[in-house]
Amino acid sequence: MASQLLSGFRMLDLADDKGALCGKIFADMGADVIKVEPRDGCPTRRIPPFLDDRPDSDRSLYAIAYHAGKRSVTLDLALADGRALLEDLVRKSDFLVESFPVGYLDAAGLGYARLAALNPRIVHTSITPFGDQGPGRNYKAADIVTWAAGGAMFLMGDEGRPPLEMSLPQAGLHAGAEAAVASLLAHYPREIEGVGQHVVIDMQACIVWTLMNEQAMPILHGDYIRRTGVHYTATGTRRKLVYSCKDGYISTVLAGGSGVGATSMKGLVEWMAAKGFAAQWMVEKDWRTWVPGILMLATERDNEEIADLEERVQRFFDTMTKREIYAEAIARRILLAPVATAADIADDEQLKARNYFVRVDHDTLGRTLTLPGAFAKFSATPVGPARRAPRLGEHNEEVYGELLGIDGARLARLRAIGAI
Amino acid sequence: MTRRYALEGVHVLDFSWVGVGPITTKYLADNGADLIRVESLARPDILRLAPPWKDAKPGIDTSQFFASYNTSKRSITLDLGKPRARELVLRLLPWADIVAESFTPKALRKWELDYEHLRAHKPDLIMLSTCMQGQTGPNALYPGFGQLMAALSGFYHIAGYASDEPPCPPYGAYTDFIAPRFAACALLAALDYRRRTGRGQYIDMSQYEAALHNLAPALVDYFASGRVAGPAGNRSERYAPHGAYRCADVDDQERWIALAVASDGEWRALLEVLRDPSADPRFATMAARLENRALLDRFVAALVRERDADALAAALQAAGVAAYPVQNCVDIHRDDNLEAFGFWHWLDHKAMGPSPYEGLSYRLERTPGELRSPAPALGQHNDEVFGGLLGLDAAEIARLKEEQIIF
Repeated sequence: MASQLLSGFRMLDLADDKGALCGKIFADMGADVIKVEPRDGCPTRRIPPFLDDRPDSDRSLYAIAYHAGKRSVTLDLALADGRALLEDLVRKSDFLVESFPVGYLDAAGLGYARLAALNPRIVHTSITPFGDQGPGRNYKAADIVTWAAGGAMFLMGDEGRPPLEMSLPQAGLHAGAEAAVASLLAHYPREIEGVGQHVVIDMQACIVWTLMNEQAMPILHGDYIRRTGVHYTATGTRRKLVYSCKDGYISTVLAGGSGVGATSMKGLVEWMAAKGFAAQWMVEKDWRTWVPGILMLATERDNEEIADLEERVQRFFDTMTKREIYAEAIARRILLAPVATAADIADDEQLKARNYFVRVDHDTLGRTLTLPGAFAKFSATPVGPARRAPRLGEHNEEVYGELLGIDGARLARLRAIGAI
Repeated sequence: MTRRYALEGVHVLDFSWVGVGPITTKYLADNGADLIRVESLARPDILRLAPPWKDAKPGIDTSQFFASYNTSKRSITLDLGKPRARELVLRLLPWADIVAESFTPKALRKWELDYEHLRAHKPDLIMLSTCMQGQTGPNALYPGFGQLMAALSGFYHIAGYASDEPPCPPYGAYTDFIAPRFAACALLAALDYRRRTGRGQYIDMSQYEAALHNLAPALVDYFASGRVAGPAGNRSERYAPHGAYRCADVDDQERWIALAVASDGEWRALLEVLRDPSADPRFATMAARLENRALLDRFVAALVRERDADALAAALQAAGVAAYPVQNCVDIHRDDNLEAFGFWHWLDHKAMGPSPYEGLSYRLERTPGELRSPAPALGQHNDEVFGGLLGLDAAEIARLKEEQIIF
């Protein structure tokens, strides 16, 4: 059943892979989200990989995942009749999110001023790769390009080798989620005052917001961070974050400090000592004050200890599997996680205990698919995908007929001229 | 009457700390919500103790890491372990529309400040609890940071050159920058639900569960087909070429360009810009380029190696090809597009002086948010909150400070 959280509100979703997650979040929260697609389908339907590796507009895993819970209509914005249909939809909607090139909707006579004239309540959210003001406002975007422009790419990879993107592109997801937040920020005063507004998202800036404490390093500490593979280098020392084990990798933070850090180091060293892997200095160490290269600069002595510690920890972990290490780490309150694969995540006890994954009937594909569930647990209004992603134009009759009141004859005419 | 900020009149009592909680509530504070952070010297926000610091010198009020996530907020101090502090929280509670917290689950229960206790005093309260793995389940008490969460939720595994090499993780606590956007949506939608129905509610956010939404296609695929997504370098099935290619060094610093070619027309445009007339048939069509990817990468790498990354990116964009220099953290501070969006701000912090803050990556045209004030010093607003809002007199405030309740 659809969530009650945003029930009664409608969003028109004209975003591609720069913003598909925006409408997905709204749909999860119970809004009526209508994907408005060109006649050949939203480009997201062509993003590989495909279910069973069979390219088809209903089988893009990206579209299956990020259009779940939405409805789909088609219309052609190049035709006056298509534009008129969008105008009619805007009159009946609360939100519109799009990621067209800057100026495209204005040129089509469908910019914010026109939409607001049709419906002063509309919240119109535009997702732009590089903002709408600067020299790059008309630049083309691909996920890897905004990832690079926002500073995240430079920090990923090995020294001397090319900087990296995530193998599942992330920039558009950050921009889409940001668009959802900003649309809801505009929603609050709109419901009080009855007036919507135009909202602009800067995707490059969304990526800058993933850089954690790095942005100010050059200004305050005099230098910028280079990519260093599996290491963390924020305070001038290389701290290893990833260790191999029998069947893959685990990640841990070897640092003490008050509270959880010291508990973690003490737990790890006791475990290693019991198995004969700890050095005497490690057993005797007061870990409460030992945080070199994480929260403070490291001395030469610290660096010697770091090298010895990291080597011993590596030898220790090489004797066990991810699952064995993670289970014992939880019991001993060690700050550690497996470098999990999709298979590990699918099998995770915590997610199972919380009934995280949901099964969604894809009758059109003759099967049931499993999707990530609620992004948070709401006590009064549970959220999550209520139904499968729509087929292209699946709701043309429903939306144009029932919502807009267009009769069968006119629908047939609109189809015939290619407006739908 | 027209409002200046979107969330004027919304009140937030914020016990959250470190990354996800404060980044979430910053969306509210920068848009006009009155937000009071409850902190304590007894358990300071660890970001107050983390770099970068003003002049690279550690201090409880001089961390830009903390400052970046805490603009537009007020700070009071209360040692929640003390019963008298709890009483003061309960006196502040009627003022609050929203309470946020991000401790491991048992902390607030121990202090009897969890949702069940608070809603007995304020039935329509909206409360957000965000922690690593959620309030329930066998791993609810899992301690940790977003760095570990990024490994646990699959991001380390899909980051790297190839599956037979170690991962090359994203920088920092990656999931700390996914979960807040979901959490902010949750709070804003819950506010609207309360407006419509009068009902508050409790929101239990597992940062793990929120972050997995950024990997959804790979998870759907695994459940459906058993295929496990792995690291693929910059390899794409959609664009060719697609990657980062080294350009000419500038001032002995490496420079790279990121580019992605989506069509054969764009490929011809790229060759035109690079003035290469060879028209190699192995690269003529998208299918051929995807097929000959390794060769293509070497070909493009050789063509751009002596070019200036900035000039080349501008030329490629002028020709309709998606490209941008791979920017480091010096570059982003002098980026014309971020500048034009009004992204960077220097705010005059009480203890740090003028300091560099990230601005907003969104703009509300009618009710724009802004960094309304720099981050607060620890307990900076004790007197105005305990005196002004709660009406305690100066002598009582002094006594509470002396007894280290306001602490």
